[in-house]
Amino acid sequence: MYSKLHENNLNFPFRAGGGNDIQWCFSQVKGAVDDDVAEADIISTVEFNHSGELLATGDKGGRVVIFQQEQENKIQSHSRGEYNVYSTFQSHEPEFDYLKSLEIEEKINKIRWLPQKNAAQFLLSTNDKTIKLWKISERDKRPEGYNLKEEDGRYRDPTTVTTLRVPVFRPMDLMVEASPRRIFANAHTYHINSISINSDYETYLSADDLRINLWHLEITDRSFNIVDIKPANMEELTEVITAAEFHPNSCNTFVYSSSKGTIRLCDMRASALCDRHSKLFEEPEDPSNRSFFSEIISSISDVKFSHSGRYMMTRDYLSVKIWDLNMENRPVETYQVHEYLRSKLCSLYENDCIFDKFECCWNGSDSVVMTGSYNNFFRMFDRNTKRDITLEASRENNKPRTVLKPRKVCASGKRKKDEISVDSLDFNKKILHTAWHPKENIIAVATTNNLYIFQDKVN
Amino acid sequence: MEVQKEAQRIMTLSVWKMYHSRMQRGGLRLHRSLQLSLVMRSARELYLSAKVEALEPEVSLPPALPSDPRLHPPREAESTAETATPDGEHPSPEPMDTQEAPTAEETSAYCGPRPAKVSRKRRSSSLSDGGDAGLVPSKKARLEEKEEEEGASSEVADCLQPPPAQAEGAFPNLARVLQRRFSGLLNCSPAAPPTAPPACEAKPACRPADSMLNVLVRAVVAF
Repeated sequence: MYSKLHENNLNFPFRAGGGNDIQWCFSQVKGAVDDDVAEADIISTVEFNHSGELLATGDKGGRVVIFQQEQENKIQSHSRGEYNVYSTFQSHEPEFDYLKSLEIEEKINKIRWLPQKNAAQFLLSTNDKTIKLWKISERDKRPEGYNLKEEDGRYRDPTTVTTLRVPVFRPMDLMVEASPRRIFANAHTYHINSISINSDYETYLSADDLRINLWHLEITDRSFNIVDIKPANMEELTEVITAAEFHPNSCNTFVYSSSKGTIRLCDMRASALCDRHSKLFEEPEDPSNRSFFSEIISSISDVKFSHSGRYMMTRDYLSVKIWDLNMENRPVETYQVHEYLRSKLCSLYENDCIFDKFECCWNGSDSVVMTGSYNNFFRMFDRNTKRDITLEASRENNKPRTVLKPRKVCASGKRKKDEISVDSLDFNKKILHTAWHPKENIIAVATTNNLYIFQDKVN
Repeated sequence: MEVQKEAQRIMTLSVWKMYHSRMQRGGLRLHRSLQLSLVMRSARELYLSAKVEALEPEVSLPPALPSDPRLHPPREAESTAETATPDGEHPSPEPMDTQEAPTAEETSAYCGPRPAKVSRKRRSSSLSDGGDAGLVPSKKARLEEKEEEEGASSEVADCLQPPPAQAEGAFPNLARVLQRRFSGLLNCSPAAPPTAPPACEAKPACRPADSMLNVLVRAVVAF
């Protein structure tokens, strides 16, 4: 059947690299169009659930928005189903810590889905201090035909009841309800940066700057401290925990990354308090790259295990590194995300961009990794072909199934046509959060306040 | 000289960022504070090493030097902000001099033993070349002088050595630096650092027990 996509093919003979020559197409964009971004609308986390059918976002205003993928339309198989809003709810509210006279932000730092066990969906969402377990359930039937109540809920006068009937369930418009089932509070003195659900599906960890706690999903009044790097004298503090994650298969293993660029792998069987690591992953610093800001750009902003559990990926300010769990002294692969920024670190320090925490993610088969950059660019690295691609999330490529054009940043010297020079990059447009569908080539990319969904071209 | 100026600028900027982060919603962010103090320490090391290179022939200067009143906080310095430093630590330099007093900065990473009392006596420095008098400790009360003589010479000597191993943490005497910084701001005129918030000048300067500085220290250490 002749598909409209074939027309596009004629104009784009060039095959984009990145992930088995996938050509990425615009699919959808969610969020307000205007440039004036309300702070509450800033997206702070993006996460697919285990099947990929649901996509959750959290924002600075403490809200969670869940999108659901439409069932595939069998007739028109141009593209996979679209994501439409499924549920929106206020997860966290701003709070005030009276003891310290500090406001606790409602911003959602992380969302993690639980694997589905029944009809309802469960997710964990966290702000700086409190983790909540949310149950999202559907209601598409309601009982009708009560004897003592009218349909609108008002009670009937019993004397007017002359016959009895059995109430029956009748279909209604789908209603999706979100209710908080557990609230895990008061366990963190510092700001929570990560949560990770264990492969036993019963426990999870939460990490702040100095401590990691282990929780049971059913128990909210107790948690176990499994890592504590707080020094006796705070003035001796030299590093903080920046991210933590459980191993996808081994329920006793987790890793945490630090602001010094190290990753520690811990085994909970070794001792109750895992202050001594089982493995320490650290790459010696390249002396030729040593600069004034070296220390702070080596801070790891995200750590993610591969789906296989054999590798883990870390993101620091300028690069993405893939580590083999069996080799501690250096990563097996290193990809430069935006090396052209190395000479601009001073300016990036001035405008605070040097503190941006970029996340990274794997595709379903662990063959491609993705991370964000500035100017609404995001980058993908194909581990097999060693090719990489830079794409842009922009409303200019708005038509569905428009193939994204690869972008290129010109570091210095002659700027070729279509290249962008480093100085014209917009550092206010940053992509910190990206997610890859666990099974298909569908990606969700968050700009400041918009969520873009891209898919690979389906012929 | 460029290097020195750049390092100075970075130090100023860092302190301002530290102050500003304290005011943000959600409170002091430990990671951010740590990163800022690391940058400040690097800037300071850079500044000192550049300084030493420039001053190499003058290493054996007389240690006691008069000071500029603007460089010293008018109120009593908070003694809780000070801690004795282990051997080998650099005493912190005085804020920079004169015309650039508002932009002049000192780092927070290391602080030598500091006197509680501060002299208003104007000082000139034979090192002074318009911007760098602050490196050498001031001449205050006699007791302080003595300490600072030791401080000065050890500081200069230390500069010639490779930077010390990273034994210090992120916040040694952060309070002190902020104190100096803001006293400098409060004392001088509108030529404040790049984007110093006006709120800074509104802070009361004369209540040691309630100084903003103390609050900051407490905020950092209070965890």
